[in-house]
Amino acid sequence: MELHINGESRTANADPSMPLLWVLRDELNLTGTKFGCGIAACGACTVHVNGQAVRSCVMPVSAVAHQKIRTIESLGTAEKPHPLQAAWIAEQVPQCGYCQSGMLMAAAALLDKTPNPSDAEIDAAMTNLCRCGTYQRVRAAIHRAAAQMKKGGAA
Amino acid sequence: MKRRTWLLSALGATGALVVGWGVLPARSRMGSPELMLQTAGDVALNGWIKIAKDGAVILAMPRSEMGQGVHTALAMLVAEELDVPLSRVRLEQAGADSIYGNVAMLVASLPFHPLDSEGGEKPTKIKMAEWVVGKLARELGINATGGSSSMADLWDPMRMAAATARASLVQAAASAWQVPAKDITVANGVMQHASGKSAHFGDMAAAAAGAKPQDISTKARQDWKLIGQSTARTDIPSKVTGQAQFGLDVRLPGMLFAAMHMSPVLAGTASSMDTQAALAIAGVENVVQIDAWGGGTGGVAVVGKSSWHARQGAQAVQVQWQNPSTALADTARIQADLLKALNTESGFTFHEQGVPTQAEKAAATRIDALYQAPYLAHATMEPMNCTAQVKDGKVEIWAPTQVPQMARDMAAKVAKVDKDQVTVHVTQLGGGFGRRLEVDFIGQAVQVAMACKGLPVQLSWSREEDMTHDFYRPMHLAKFQASLDDKGEVTSLRIKSAGDAITPRWMARAAPHLSGPIDMPDKTASEGLFDLPYGFASQHMSHVATKSGVPVGFWRSVGHSHNAFFSESFIDELAAATKQDPLAFRLNWLKDAPRYAAVLKLAADKAAWGTPLPAGRARGIALHESFGSIVAQVAEVSLEQGQIRVHRVVCAIDCGTVVNPGTVAQQMESSVIYGLSAALFGKIDIVGGVVQQGNFPSYPMVSLSQAPQVETHIVPSTRHPAGVGEPAVPPIAPAVGNALFALTGKRQRALPLVV
Repeated sequence: MELHINGESRTANADPSMPLLWVLRDELNLTGTKFGCGIAACGACTVHVNGQAVRSCVMPVSAVAHQKIRTIESLGTAEKPHPLQAAWIAEQVPQCGYCQSGMLMAAAALLDKTPNPSDAEIDAAMTNLCRCGTYQRVRAAIHRAAAQMKKGGAA
Repeated sequence: MKRRTWLLSALGATGALVVGWGVLPARSRMGSPELMLQTAGDVALNGWIKIAKDGAVILAMPRSEMGQGVHTALAMLVAEELDVPLSRVRLEQAGADSIYGNVAMLVASLPFHPLDSEGGEKPTKIKMAEWVVGKLARELGINATGGSSSMADLWDPMRMAAATARASLVQAAASAWQVPAKDITVANGVMQHASGKSAHFGDMAAAAAGAKPQDISTKARQDWKLIGQSTARTDIPSKVTGQAQFGLDVRLPGMLFAAMHMSPVLAGTASSMDTQAALAIAGVENVVQIDAWGGGTGGVAVVGKSSWHARQGAQAVQVQWQNPSTALADTARIQADLLKALNTESGFTFHEQGVPTQAEKAAATRIDALYQAPYLAHATMEPMNCTAQVKDGKVEIWAPTQVPQMARDMAAKVAKVDKDQVTVHVTQLGGGFGRRLEVDFIGQAVQVAMACKGLPVQLSWSREEDMTHDFYRPMHLAKFQASLDDKGEVTSLRIKSAGDAITPRWMARAAPHLSGPIDMPDKTASEGLFDLPYGFASQHMSHVATKSGVPVGFWRSVGHSHNAFFSESFIDELAAATKQDPLAFRLNWLKDAPRYAAVLKLAADKAAWGTPLPAGRARGIALHESFGSIVAQVAEVSLEQGQIRVHRVVCAIDCGTVVNPGTVAQQMESSVIYGLSAALFGKIDIVGGVVQQGNFPSYPMVSLSQAPQVETHIVPSTRHPAGVGEPAVPPIAPAVGNALFALTGKRQRALPLVV
């Protein structure tokens, strides 16, 4: 099966009903996207499909063939971080860090659509669960990144 | 049996071991260079510090990073003593030697009242008991990350090891340059002399290895440049790019994936299985029957070419389950049993002062209350998992674990090899909270690996397996009885609690060689009840230890987590019964506990206690000591469409000397959310041995939209560093419950809170 992931064409030898999450993690070794619940309840597996935040643990890979898939691995790098990643470091958001890939991908999809979100818009978009309770820093970091992107342009 | 009797017998039993031991704990843990991993080009100076060719410092790291920021904080100690930038300190997993064991955690298990040590100098009986247990802990060398003890434990040994390394390096430079060592300065990992001579650590490492510096001391407090400064965590950059490696992210050549399917009944096993349907699925390679390891539950593991295939197979395999021989756990029955135990058994007395019976007889008024808390799951975001490879008589495991040596011991036991043949790689932990002090999943992974012909295999649990096969925080009940005299003054407080003891059950499964036939009184059962700071003249606190059969474990802040809800809610009841402000009432009874009073006042001041709030909002206050730290919280609460809404939580903490204030704030926020999830939603029900909650919809946690704003205020202190990862969990439930009482007039006596 032909997949478009992070700007590259990748061939996955996957069962069509296999959720995208497992194709990414176990077939393609893109382990930045995490397994948390398997029922789209926690958001640890959030990736972008055509710019939309989706929960890859319940998304059959056949449904996203030929769509543009983006994972945490292409959000930014240590040398060239996405403004959200820079904000995440500035606000010292992660603790254990396990849910943070999903958090960042959900936040990136939010800022793509809503460059300057209100607290209510953040509440509505950020339904990812974090057991370490990093929420208030997530909120602060989204506001910080939004301000930065307004000032300095997009990533 | 009284506390004193027990302690004396424990001292007698261990006394024989201590003869001839006289060294200071920190120095006794310096270790020799051979204990560090031998890596080409690097020079080890002791059991903790290696110097790389380029002058970088390599620190042996025995503690697990599970979000608490401990890798950064411990590296800061070493950077401070060696005067190198934090970025020049690299971590290397420590080996299994006993110098890396956790002494402070075991010492903290002694059931002493914290007020006994409040004045500074500890009474002799405490010093003696701590010394004995410290020596014992040093000998045992149990490496565990838990009990909020990492900093308290490693504060002296790590700084001493770094100071020794520094002195050796400086002495080597002094010899090479023929100048007095005292004239050499160190900055940014570079040694300099006024003559213009200069060298970085790497240049002098080989010569330093033979140096024997004398009279080494750690830096004076006023010379610290890094300790006490909010410092960016070194693990965060890899956690925002998806590069951090958790247990589930381990990838090895030829690796297989296995899914665990356990008996739905706790402690059950698989008696037989039909594997035909599972093996018919393309991509499923093998089905392995798995024994119950480490006090866990048995079942089957299905091996496949991906986690998905393995999970498909796990659902398809037909298993006949064998229930345990003991009665099946049932929370309704256990609750009734606990109540009966409270009413019929006297339990173990953890604290007694004054003459409670006399005060009770003379009481003008008596206030009684019964409190209860349910079983809870840990629900780490990363479900249980372990990757294992068994090949040529050797075992290698990669695991997110809080107890690497126990993981090693479990692997050796399952594979029937010597411990020396086992290598443990500790990954990042996607949350721990006490769940990863267990090694059930390690045993399972090794057993699967033994059936994988030398190939590595990653065993993982689904969320449902994780939630239904936890080692739960035990259900607890507590009965409170206060006596008031005719002036309305509290004259006595009696508390009796009942619930399963955790430590003896954990010892039996995790370290059976240390477990005895009779349960020792377990401090964790009564902590948060027997150790209250309030100066009521007469007090009696006892605990009835039960054995429900439910697997129980250490849940973030352990006994304090529910006991603080009980005690700080009841203190609030006493304030209300005596018509006093909850803050004023507490301060009135804290006259002999100035450190507690200071923390409470700080939180109250910062929360503007007593000033008006918008209509429909109320404040609640709570104060609690745990893991050597005192935390006070003021919660602002309202009801929104019949739901409890917590808007703001003001936290004050005295945790002794602070290494990284940024981490303290992070942990206060984290603990509030973790404790609030339990206070608002947390409940595990068991029917016929089967846990009823299976995933986040039935075991909810606080989400971003429900999260309060948390503020942290730190009391400056020069005391020994104390715990940070857990102490802010206990006060949140009573702070919210007390706010609800202020708001509604209805007293909350059970968790989760219900309006």
